[in-house]
Amino acid sequence: MMLRSLTAAAWLALPAAGAAQANLSTQGFGFPTGQFSTRANGTGGALGELDPLSPVNPASLTLIGTRLVYLQIEPEFRTVTSPKGSDATNTTRFPVVFGALPIGSRWVMSLGSSSLLDRTSTTSFPTTQVVSGDTVNMSTVYRVNGAMDDVRLAAGWTPVNWLRLGVGAHAITGHNLISITQSFADTTVFKSFTKQRILGFAGSAASAGIEIITKDFSAGLSGRVGGSLRLAVEDTALGSARVPDRFGASIAYTGIANSSIAIRTSRDQWSALGGLGSPTVKGVDAWDTSIGADMAGPRVGQRIIYVRGGFRDRTLPFAADGNQVRERSISAGLGTSFANGRVLTDFAAMRAARSADIGASEHAWTLSFGFTVRP
Amino acid sequence: MRKPLVTLLSALAAVTAIACTEQLDAGKSCPLLCPEQAISLKDTIIDAVAVDTTIPGLPPIGSETFLMLSSHGDTLETRAIVRFDTLPSTFTLGGVDTGITVVDSAFIVVPRAFADSLKRPTGPITVEAYDVDTSTADTVSSVLASLFRPDRFLGSRTYAPESLHDSVTVPISTDTVLDRVLTGKRFRIGLKLITSAGQGFDLRLGTREAGTPAMLRIIASLDTAARPLNVAPISNSPPNQLFLSAPLADYAIVVHGSAPSPPEVIAVGGVPSRRAFLRFDLPSHIADSTTIVRASLLLTQAPNRRVDVHDSVFVYPLAILAAPTVTDIASQLQFVAAPGFLGLDSLFLAPGDSGVRSFEIAGLARTWRAQPLTVSPRTLALRSGAESQLPAEIDFYSTAAAPALRPRLRITYVPQTNFGIP
Repeated sequence: MMLRSLTAAAWLALPAAGAAQANLSTQGFGFPTGQFSTRANGTGGALGELDPLSPVNPASLTLIGTRLVYLQIEPEFRTVTSPKGSDATNTTRFPVVFGALPIGSRWVMSLGSSSLLDRTSTTSFPTTQVVSGDTVNMSTVYRVNGAMDDVRLAAGWTPVNWLRLGVGAHAITGHNLISITQSFADTTVFKSFTKQRILGFAGSAASAGIEIITKDFSAGLSGRVGGSLRLAVEDTALGSARVPDRFGASIAYTGIANSSIAIRTSRDQWSALGGLGSPTVKGVDAWDTSIGADMAGPRVGQRIIYVRGGFRDRTLPFAADGNQVRERSISAGLGTSFANGRVLTDFAAMRAARSADIGASEHAWTLSFGFTVRP
Repeated sequence: MRKPLVTLLSALAAVTAIACTEQLDAGKSCPLLCPEQAISLKDTIIDAVAVDTTIPGLPPIGSETFLMLSSHGDTLETRAIVRFDTLPSTFTLGGVDTGITVVDSAFIVVPRAFADSLKRPTGPITVEAYDVDTSTADTVSSVLASLFRPDRFLGSRTYAPESLHDSVTVPISTDTVLDRVLTGKRFRIGLKLITSAGQGFDLRLGTREAGTPAMLRIIASLDTAARPLNVAPISNSPPNQLFLSAPLADYAIVVHGSAPSPPEVIAVGGVPSRRAFLRFDLPSHIADSTTIVRASLLLTQAPNRRVDVHDSVFVYPLAILAAPTVTDIASQLQFVAAPGFLGLDSLFLAPGDSGVRSFEIAGLARTWRAQPLTVSPRTLALRSGAESQLPAEIDFYSTAAAPALRPRLRITYVPQTNFGIP
């Protein structure tokens, strides 16, 4: 019963905000936030398979030694440039929230939710239609709220000190609330209108991971196998597909005390979503590769300040006007603890450049704030 | 076990409470990066008017906001009736209540509508007052009209065009007023407009309904220091039926009016004032399954060249608020919304003009969506903005006219679309 409540709460918790439609990053079913914690974001995602706060590799959960709750906030400031000019917008996301609970000395359980594809956007554009010979000038506001979310129940196990294993069960949930408002220049004759509909997602997936620890290196490997995914409006199914499979691997050098230098790569089979949308929307199977470091920096009193940096190169899941969208980003971050280690805070700043071969580009600053509380 | 779970739930709830935000994207990258475009509109013109008819005599007698006092010879003549069914028997002089035993002077003072000040007669006009009290049918035009005769004459006043201002003041026979005061009988005054031959004119007079009633001004003392008594109109008949009697404090009667509208015409305004009723038969696939963004009622105006051909008046399309259980059309036309309700806009039309007129009724048509006829009848009223105030009558061809002239409905709508899927 409690578990059901938790699942419902997690489902509600993460509608996840996102980018505007008139941009490169939220084509198709939306923008993949990456499912990384702020710490992993600070390294460009390189620590993704080894980071216990990133709901990617369930084996990494075993690094959590105490019960905790984690929340992440990510505002993004974005500029889209096209031949007609530039649009500057901002959006705020809550891409990861979860809690973890150690059970005994070798098990850790976790329940959390993260944004798989965030479609939140609002775009306004003028249009003209000719209706029975009359030219009708109107303005359209196209608003999408919501995301495809990944609710994960996971367990990590440490059979021996150098080996960690984990499994996860995923419920792919969430919704897109679509709202179109068309208003007219001639308000005497024409009445504006708003049409709304809610697209709901329902799917499942399973994941597993492994982490191997040596004296100077850590390696993590995880994969997700997608089950069926359904798109529906109320009780009417509009399409079905499969949750994209994913695999990824990180390897980190840990020979420096309290520090990690890591590289990661992953592959997402976004094309599995092909049957879910219109024929013109095609998912792109994409690599996501990054390199980064999480280094113990200066001490302030008894507190260690962690300094992070990284570089990431990936292809976004959905093409823009038939062209693949590539994203390159650099990131930097800080992390430390407060309240005798009961509150951990992380901060990361990411500068991303997104481009496609269609004469449009996008640049974004993303700030990520992560808060971990150990009750 | 329980405590951390509660903590986790609290955190999740906190996240839920924080709304995600998104600034508006101005869409400069559209249509390049906007796979979703504006929804296409569809347009159709249909013969959707199933019933149309004209109901004369609306608003009902006594409900007029102005009294129309008109004189256009044999073409048109209306008169105004003001009832003073209760007159005071005392007045105050030097701070002391005193019984009325003498009437120095008496006048009926009637405010005029401001708009009339802009239009002056071409020659002198005379307003005559008559005693129109009768024990017979006291609201029947023919009966009342017969009482405007010399033996009931109370007084008159002639106005030169330039002397016509914001009120009309007519001296009233002091003997008659004193008689009514002393005997306690009711006093009912009929007003008649007389114009020069061939010169029609209309006066719009204030009413009790609009809060600007005619007043009977009595000076009940020969003392020049005496202040006048101002008596407001009041009607006591029909007795013990205040709902019916109160509006009859002042009203207009038609002595000569327009002929009834022929079947091929629906009319608004005119004398007696009339309203038009229309019932639509809208295809259910439009009414129930689409979003209407434009609904234009296309009416072809028929020129009416009887009276005030060039004096334009507003014609209002109005929603009918009567419950569907009210089936009598005349009753339905008395329960109409205020002008502008649901965004219905008026047209300013001259009686003598012709051509196709478009009334925009999208706001009303939208209320019909997915509503059964028993809940939301597809009906509409048309009325003149100067009904019972000015004689202008606007005529439109009805469904009984030639096919090309009949009412039509132009609907622009958004069909059901499968939007939102990328």
